[in-house]
Amino acid sequence: MSSSEDPREKLSDAPRHRRTYRELHDGREPFFPNFLLKEWIIGAMFIVGFLIWVLLNKVGLGSIANPNDSSYIPVPDWYFLFLYQALKYYPGNGEVFGAFLVPVIVTLLLIFLPWIDWSKNRRPFKRPLATASMVLVIIMMSWLTAEAWAQHQAEVGGSAAGGSSSSTSGLPFAVQHPTSTALMATSMPGYQLFENTCAGCHGQNLEGSVGPELRGIGNVASSSQLLPVITKGFPPNMPPGGGLTNKSQLQQIADWLSQQKQK
Amino acid sequence: MIKRTYDWIDERLNITPLWRDIADHEVPAHVNPATKMSAFVYCFGGLTFLIIVTQILSGMFLSMYYVPDINNAYYSVQYITNQVLLGNVVRGMHFWGASLTIIMVFLHMLRVFFTGAYKAPRELNWVVGVLLFFIVLAFGFTGYLLPWDQKAYWATSVGAQIAEQVPILGPYIRLLLVGGSTVGALTLTRFFAIHVFFLPAALLVLLGAHFLMIRKAGIAGPM
Ligand code: HEC
Ligand code: HEM
Repeated sequence: MSSSEDPREKLSDAPRHRRTYRELHDGREPFFPNFLLKEWIIGAMFIVGFLIWVLLNKVGLGSIANPNDSSYIPVPDWYFLFLYQALKYYPGNGEVFGAFLVPVIVTLLLIFLPWIDWSKNRRPFKRPLATASMVLVIIMMSWLTAEAWAQHQAEVGGSAAGGSSSSTSGLPFAVQHPTSTALMATSMPGYQLFENTCAGCHGQNLEGSVGPELRGIGNVASSSQLLPVITKGFPPNMPPGGGLTNKSQLQQIADWLSQQKQK
Repeated sequence: MIKRTYDWIDERLNITPLWRDIADHEVPAHVNPATKMSAFVYCFGGLTFLIIVTQILSGMFLSMYYVPDINNAYYSVQYITNQVLLGNVVRGMHFWGASLTIIMVFLHMLRVFFTGAYKAPRELNWVVGVLLFFIVLAFGFTGYLLPWDQKAYWATSVGAQIAEQVPILGPYIRLLLVGGSTVGALTLTRFFAIHVFFLPAALLVLLGAHFLMIRKAGIAGPM
């Protein structure tokens, strides 16, 4: 390119909407507006396709996080599945190897790729080692992802069929796990009744054990909402009335629980 | 009128060279899908950028309603999904856009890999690219916790457990991530801060470097 043809030389007095130079000789064209407008066609199709997908696929929201429900089967977002799955193959101390050494080595290989595959050859078939490694990595990642997903589905399906999992997703009052833990209104008669009847499952301080945590339940439920739920119970997980049948005692417990407004 | 305004500004600030430089640089035929359809693989980087722009925009709108504390986060997301006008669409864009970004970044990286475009003189840009890749993954990891539902909570707990396995530094990394003994209020606020302040800042800086280097070295020639 001679210096008079260099686009940068002409900048200061260049007309703003100049057409192309040398365009038809070798198919080059200016970035803007020529190329960008054409590329925008691809971009527009991309965005429209994306929006259609978004409109057709609603995003859900699970039940609120419950740190006490360790029976929940965790699953990372799909693009971390291969890592998650890979870790399953390192038993015991191998986890150090799997969770640390392998990722670090792979990362370093990736970062320093230009100095590892240093030859000037660019065609994939002229550098078979690099190409084969990458193809292998892609196959491994796809397989691990598929495997992780299949195993996760089996696990979730299995526990749902088992039926007795204490998944709390169906609870009427999702308590919000308050940070303050002190019991409230312990002078009410319902307090002693609760400690005698319910604390075995819901904890002396409402912290939950077999049954879910009830701290802060007064924030989300009133006494009149609680009473029918307690009376009915959750057979077989919780007997009707928690084992109590006396109506006025149940009312007292419900009154006391509705005062548990821990924040 | 527009032209006069432009000229007035240009007389004072001489802005024409700035954008002329970008506008006039030539795009070679081998990367132009209008010349050869198979060249669409060279669009992957640009499409990644496009989807990142939509992520930033939808994220900005989500942050108008999202509340990063453990009592309200879940309900604010519920509110966005069910009450806010078009809230479910904006949330859908951000949710699916996250996956699409990962896919596009990966495809772009494969394009660069298989065309050997990371070789001299573009080594540094490859390194910047790998960093960008990790930033995008970090966006995904931190964003996953924000809705504060069961899936979010337990995935993050497991992630923190895995981080703890790292020899010697493990417990510190875990503490840095979680901010306490268990995933909780502190984790949510720090993931939020990382997701909306730290990572975008790093992303924009690295993208600037990425584009500058592409401009300096030019796109790699035909193979
Ligand atoms: C045998 C153990 C057991 C006893 C005793 C028991 N519960 Fe429960 N309770 C549970 C279980 C388990 C659940 C969760 C039910 C489910 O997931 O199906 C539950 C759920 C609840 C809920 C709903 C919690 C929510 O977040 O929606 C309330 C309220 C409750 N129990 C109150 C009581 C009261 C009051 C008593 C005493 C009168 C009591 N329970 C006695 C096991 C028990
Ligand atoms: C955050 C996301 C990224 C964006 C928005 C982005 C954007 C772009 C764009 C627009 C180009 C121009 C060519 C093309 O479109 O193919 C490009 C080139 C390039 N990218 Fe990226 N990129 C990203 C991530 C990456 C990653 C993860 C890598 C590799 C690890 C990478 C390595 C490169 C290299 C080496 C070039 C020069 C290629 C050549 O000269 O042919 N980039 N990038």
